[in-house]
Amino acid sequence: MLNLFTLVLQIAVILAVCRLTGSLFRKMHQPRVVGEMFAGILLGPSLLGWIAPQFSAYLFPQSSLGFLNALSQVGVVIFMFLVGLGINPKELKKQGHAAILTSHVSITAPFVLAAFLSLYLYPRLSDDSVAFASFALFMGASMSITAFPVLARILAERDMLGSRLGTLAVACAAVDDVTGWCILAYIVVLIRAAHATTSIWVTLGGIVIFALVMIYGVRRLLQGYETVYRRTNGLSENMLAFMLLLVLASALCTEWLGIHLLFGSFLMGAIMPKEPKFVRYILDRFETITVTLLLPLFFAFTGLRTNIGLVKGQEMWMYSGLIILVAVLGKLGGSMVASWLSGMPLREAAGLGTLMNTRGLMELVILNIGLDIKVISPALFSMMVMMALVTTFMTTPVLELICPDKMIRATMPVEAMQPVSVEGLDLEARPGSAA
Amino acid sequence: MTRTNRNFVIAYALLVALPVAGLLGVLRYGSSLQAPVSVDGVWEVQSDRSPFAALLCGQSFATAEDLAITISQSGKGFSLDLANGFRTKAAGVIEGNTLSASLSPPAVRSSAAGCETGRVLQLTASVDPKAEPKTLAGVLSVADCSACVPVEFRAIRPAPARKRGPH
Repeated sequence: MLNLFTLVLQIAVILAVCRLTGSLFRKMHQPRVVGEMFAGILLGPSLLGWIAPQFSAYLFPQSSLGFLNALSQVGVVIFMFLVGLGINPKELKKQGHAAILTSHVSITAPFVLAAFLSLYLYPRLSDDSVAFASFALFMGASMSITAFPVLARILAERDMLGSRLGTLAVACAAVDDVTGWCILAYIVVLIRAAHATTSIWVTLGGIVIFALVMIYGVRRLLQGYETVYRRTNGLSENMLAFMLLLVLASALCTEWLGIHLLFGSFLMGAIMPKEPKFVRYILDRFETITVTLLLPLFFAFTGLRTNIGLVKGQEMWMYSGLIILVAVLGKLGGSMVASWLSGMPLREAAGLGTLMNTRGLMELVILNIGLDIKVISPALFSMMVMMALVTTFMTTPVLELICPDKMIRATMPVEAMQPVSVEGLDLEARPGSAA
Repeated sequence: MTRTNRNFVIAYALLVALPVAGLLGVLRYGSSLQAPVSVDGVWEVQSDRSPFAALLCGQSFATAEDLAITISQSGKGFSLDLANGFRTKAAGVIEGNTLSASLSPPAVRSSAAGCETGRVLQLTASVDPKAEPKTLAGVLSVADCSACVPVEFRAIRPAPARKRGPH
């Protein structure tokens, strides 16, 4: 039964800890979201549950976690819509061969390396209820993801959005995210199909039909939103509510089809009109409550599922080190080599690799799905969360080291020196926005 | 084909197509790998629990209404939670089809006579991987106590419910 007092207390504590930790990380020149991710870990069994188990059990009783999870999932559904909204496939086309090669290598390199690592990890960290293919594909998808919003935030904070490096990174990250989510959708279908009564082909057919209807049917209807926005310079509350309803309906469709709620909301965002002012307007309406209230709940819920205590003994820490090494080598190394071969100077190429190595919140979203469908074990989940934190945390200092501001500014055209936005993601003006 | 395009095709083949082919090889090879038997989930203890009353430090198991073993597995390692009113927790390992775990103080808490701090309960069980639903058969004994008689138990893990809907 819902204990309202406990739930409100939880939300209050989570918000306070997230804001505090986020501010501390801002002082360390890290994006706020990195601090909020750490805050989640601090509130879970890895720290609070370890040093004050009774207080932790009082604050987060097992019976209350379902409500916290439900609230956080609503937040992630809306967040994924906003992520999809910020992605514009046309960005890639502008970048030419370099972007195509770099984005594809930045997916395949970590993916294949993760699959090789799976040969070693599967007999040690999985069990026979999970097929090797599902395990390896999941590891690949989770290592090849790039946190598009965090990356955009870092670029904006360093005034790099208009640079050659910035535009290429944003285009590649968008492709990575879309590809990563498609692969993940396939894995979820595979795993869920094992427990389902309907053939996998019926499920896949349903998903393809749904995607086609969305891309070729619903997308055209959504242009109406942009038309109204242009005419009236805004949207009525009813129109915004209907947009939310469409997001939820799309999420429910993909959940019913056997993938996940988040795919539907992401797809709805991806097919929305991409006129920058319109995108900015929608972000303004939905972002604040999602980023300041609901996403911290997701971080806390993830932290409550992360138990670094499960990673014990030399062997387990070695696995963690290997995971981080492979993730960095595949993503940073792969992107760097590909962009260097495409003609980018070595330091800039290394900077691009560093940016692409940012996994952030997107990684946590994927890992939670993996734990829910039991394709990864709790210990592996904790190791992967550590990898997400390390790779996200390292981005800013490594980038500062490899590509100092002076060097980036030298590659920027004069007009790009002005603050710019990525399809409306005007992040520098919003200290608490877009995780 | 221009020189730029040719270079692009070569680079793409080497950096994208070749690794993807390698991935297929990895998936093919990996399908022959053997992972530890799955024991994750809630196991309902089926056997008569009255013998637990005679087991030193095991009295609480005999009086529990629904004795269940909840296992959270991570590869060869697992944590075990005996929902016996005392929420006895322990960690263990899986070797082949055999599970072993030690339930040591302060996890084992009982006010029964003779169950002093320092006593360790040893759980050893084997899982039948082919049975459906899966069954776990084993013994619970007191370590370093030759006079203590081990108690046998049997538990089953109900098969997961099939999902409804198109999937």
